[in-house]
Amino acid sequence: MEGNIYLPQLARVVAIHEEVPGERAIKTFRLEFIDGDGFTHKCGQCAMLSIFGRGESMISIASSPLVHDYKQFSIMRAGRVTSAFHELAVGAQVGIRGPFGNSFPVNDWHGKHLVFIGGGCGLAPIWPVIQTAVTKREDFGSITVFYGGRSPRDIMYRAELEKLRGTAEVYLSVDSPDDGWEEYCGFVPANLMEKEPSPEDAIAITCGPPAMIKFVIKNLHALGFQDEQIYTTVENKMKCGIGKCGRCNVGKDYVCTKGPVYSWADLKELPQEY
Amino acid sequence: MERILDKGRLGAWVAALADWTVLAPAMQDGLWAYRPVAGGEASLTLGHPNTVQPPKGQSFPQREVFFTFDETPDGQPRLTPLVPRPGPRLVFGVRPCDGQGLTHLDQVFGEEAPDAYYQARRGTLAYVGLACNSPPSRHCFCTSVGGSPFGEAGLDVLMIDLSDRYLVRALTPVGETLMTAGQGVLTEAGADDRAEAQQRRLAALAHPQRAVAAPQAVPERLKAGFGSALWERLAQPCIGCGICTFLCPTCHCFDINDEVASQSPVCGSRVRTWDSCQFPDFTMHTSGHNPRADLGARLRQRVSHKFLYYFENHGVFQCTGCGRCIIACPVGIDIIAVVNQVAAEAAAMPPADS
Repeated sequence: MEGNIYLPQLARVVAIHEEVPGERAIKTFRLEFIDGDGFTHKCGQCAMLSIFGRGESMISIASSPLVHDYKQFSIMRAGRVTSAFHELAVGAQVGIRGPFGNSFPVNDWHGKHLVFIGGGCGLAPIWPVIQTAVTKREDFGSITVFYGGRSPRDIMYRAELEKLRGTAEVYLSVDSPDDGWEEYCGFVPANLMEKEPSPEDAIAITCGPPAMIKFVIKNLHALGFQDEQIYTTVENKMKCGIGKCGRCNVGKDYVCTKGPVYSWADLKELPQEY
Repeated sequence: MERILDKGRLGAWVAALADWTVLAPAMQDGLWAYRPVAGGEASLTLGHPNTVQPPKGQSFPQREVFFTFDETPDGQPRLTPLVPRPGPRLVFGVRPCDGQGLTHLDQVFGEEAPDAYYQARRGTLAYVGLACNSPPSRHCFCTSVGGSPFGEAGLDVLMIDLSDRYLVRALTPVGETLMTAGQGVLTEAGADDRAEAQQRRLAALAHPQRAVAAPQAVPERLKAGFGSALWERLAQPCIGCGICTFLCPTCHCFDINDEVASQSPVCGSRVRTWDSCQFPDFTMHTSGHNPRADLGARLRQRVSHKFLYYFENHGVFQCTGCGRCIIACPVGIDIIAVVNQVAAEAAAMPPADS
C-alpha cells in the first residue's frame, strides 16, 4: 500500500519500562518495526501510534534519531488509547505511522550552550535533543538540564538523568519532596532563576505543562534570553498528522506539519489556541 | 469546444455517456440532492437552484473506511486496506461556487502528503457545471469572494442556460471527451449563441448580490479583530450543530476512529468521518484543556480559517459564497454579517502601532 498515509506499519513492543507509577503513570515503550525499514526521524518529530480497536494517539518520539534499531515513546496514561498502551505486554504489536512535524534545528546550534527545561512528561519530546547533544558532545558548548516533577516518584528517566551527570549539569526539582530528596524543592521556573544560566551563546529548549512554560518563558526573558533563543513544542489534538483533518489548526499553521517545534519568536505570532 | 444542446435532449446526452455513472440534482423528500440518473431519462431537467449539499461528498464522503483490522490466530493485528476503485462518475449541474469549492478540496487533499482515498475517488470524477444566470439564493455572495456566477474553476464542462437550449463549453480534456461522446446530440454553436451567452454572463455579473464588504481588506481586519468581543456576542445563539461546516463546499475537517465489531477476537474498521470545528470537543485535549473552549473562539475559527488563515497560505478565500451556511443555520448566524461586522469594527480602531 505504497503512498497510503493513513495505513500504519506494524511494530512490536520489545521492552516496557515503568517510569512513573500512580495516577499520572508514565511508561516507556520500545518499538521495533516488524517488516520494512520503518522510518527515520528527526529530533522533535512525532508518530501516530495505534492500538487497533481503540484508535490512534500522537506521541513524541523520545529516542534519539541516531538510534536506528528501535523507537521509544514515553506515554502517560490519560485517555482511551494511552490507557490501552499501559495494558500492553512485551511482544504485543501496535500500529505506527509517521514521522510527523518539523524538528528542533539542532544543526544550527553547533557551538551553542544548551539549556533544557522540562516538566512532567515534557522531558520526552526534548529527550532526543539531549541524547543527540550528549552523543555529539564536541559539537556543543555546555549542556544544562533542568527537570522537575510533582514528587520524587514523578521524576521520569531517573536512571538516565543520573547517567547524564558529568556530561551535563543536571538540576532536578520537585514541589512535594519526601524525606530522601536532596535536590531543589519548588517549581522548575524558580529553580531556573536560582541557577541563572547565562543567555550568552545559549539556546533554551523547554517543554512541559502550559503553566510551567508560561513562567519558564517569563524567567528566561528576565535572565536575558531573546525570543529567538527559546524553543518549545506545541501539543494539540491531532488525527491525521498531515495537515488535513483541521484539528490542530492554530492560525495559519497546522501544528502537525508546521510544528510541533516553535521558537518563541514564531510562536508568539500565532493565536494562543494551544 | 462549444456546442449547443436543446434542453429536451439533455437525457439523450446522458444516454450517450454510457461509460459513466451520471449523477444529477433530483428533488427527493423536498430536498435537492445529487442522485444517479438512468440514461435517456426524458424527465431529466436541471431545475435546481442549488443542491442542499455540495458535491464534495463524491470525493470526500461523510463516512469512509480506511482499512479493516482483525486478529491472526496468534493474536496479532492484521490490516486490510480498502482504497476505493470507483468507475468513472459524472456530476451534472454543479454550480460555479461548488466548482470553486472543489479546487480547495483538491488543494487540501493533494498538497504535501496526497490522500490516497480522496485521490482515488477524485481521479475518476468529472463535473459538468451550470452557470447561474441569476443568483439561485438570496444569500449568494460569490462575486465578493473571488467567484463568478459563470466561473469555470474545478469544472470540466460549463453549461449556460439560453432559455430553450444550453451553450455547452468544454474546459478540460475530460470535458472534450464528454462532448465528443455526445456529438450526435450536441450541435454547432453559432455567433448568435455565443453573443447570447455573453449577454447572460454580463447580466449575471451585474445582478445584485449580498456581499462581503471591502474583501481585499478582510484578512488584515480579521487579524486586527482577533480579540474582538463581537465573536462571543455573535456566536451566542450557536447550538454547535455543525450544519454550517457539513454543508460547506470547502470544509474538510475530519475525525478518525475505530469502529469495533468484536472485542474478542478484535475485529473492526478504522473510519474517517466528517468533523466540525464548531463541536466543543473538536480541539479538547485528553487532559480536559480546550484551546477553543467557547462559542466565540469556535465561530472565529470557522470564519478566520476561510477569510484569514487559508488566505495567508494560499492567497484566496476558502469561502465560495454559496450561502449554504447562512440558509441552513437554525439560529440565523450569518457569515457575511459576521465578517462585515468584525471587519468594520477593526477598520474603525486606531492602528495598533501609532
